[in-house]
Amino acid sequence: MSNTAKPVTGAKGGAVKKLVIIPAYNEQGGIERTVRDIMEHAPDFDYVVINDCSTDQTLEVCQKNGFHVINLPVNLGIGGGVQTGYAYAWRNGYDIAVQFDGDGQHNAKYLGAMADRLLSKNLDMVIGSRYIKKEGFQSTGLRRLGIRYFTALIKLVTGKKITDPTSGMRMAGRDVIGLYAKNYPKDYPEPESVVAIIKKGRQVDEIPVQMNAREEGVSSISPRKSVYYMIKVSLAILIAAVRR
Amino acid sequence: MSIKIQIIVAALVVLALLFIANMVRKETLDIRFALSWLTVGGVVLVLDLFPGIMNYLVHLLGIELPVNMMFFFGFCFTLLLLFSLTVKVSRQAEQLKRLTQEIALLEERMENQAGAAGFDDKK
Repeated sequence: MSNTAKPVTGAKGGAVKKLVIIPAYNEQGGIERTVRDIMEHAPDFDYVVINDCSTDQTLEVCQKNGFHVINLPVNLGIGGGVQTGYAYAWRNGYDIAVQFDGDGQHNAKYLGAMADRLLSKNLDMVIGSRYIKKEGFQSTGLRRLGIRYFTALIKLVTGKKITDPTSGMRMAGRDVIGLYAKNYPKDYPEPESVVAIIKKGRQVDEIPVQMNAREEGVSSISPRKSVYYMIKVSLAILIAAVRR
Repeated sequence: MSIKIQIIVAALVVLALLFIANMVRKETLDIRFALSWLTVGGVVLVLDLFPGIMNYLVHLLGIELPVNMMFFFGFCFTLLLLFSLTVKVSRQAEQLKRLTQEIALLEERMENQAGAAGFDDKK
């Protein structure tokens, strides 16, 4: 990998370079609103849409609007898509990269506060959590139960309490950008990848955010897949905990 | 084992070996992957032509019936082969993912160089 390449610009000297990574798979209905939200409420962030080989008009919508897109020729799933964004951020010298769902669930107005927290506290990752203030869309009962279970499991293996380990709204500093560009789980990556960096001694914190109920697209976790999800993520967390 | 069965098995094995060898010759099958199959074919052929070996081994291992030994070793071999394939598939999935990402990143870079400036990765 050419991840060892030196960044073109760094944090020192120039302004902090910030990138929003928007993974999008079949988000033709929500992608435009998402990008406009970022342009309006987080104007000091660059953004890139990662079109994960959508079968709908996502790419066309982006091209029509002149959005900045990285177009994957083969569908990689959420992990591979997001990782593409981290690789892009790494190679282009970004100091901060944040994941941001393309379906309108996340609100760009929190990005500034997340970046402030990351920089002021010298953190490696800031997660936008729904469960600190318990405001906004809180997901459904059974899912919340699953999320609590992951919180407990992560607390058990790392000693760190992450109230919203499945949150897809996560901001990483340059160091974690590099780690994720090299290694990132393929499916259901969020809880596992947080454990991986905590175990490497990186500092992770959360700030309260409100999320919206999904307005467009469908969740990647159908009821049928949720059993696989629970088992896979549990095992992945345990393996990430003993990996070095 | 009747001589008839012996001949049929030998013929089938020889056919299979020729088939595999021919695929290697035409380069539709990588020789690295063909080797394990050629080995299996060879072993089966030897055991078929010299049933004494089989009887000796069965006796040595204390297995009641020769056919049980065949099933046992056949099963072990199949598991081993399947597992090695799983390992290969997961490695290739990672390679494929990397390639896909590289292509996408390259394409983005080319488009941004050809089109409007604004991305400062070209110094």
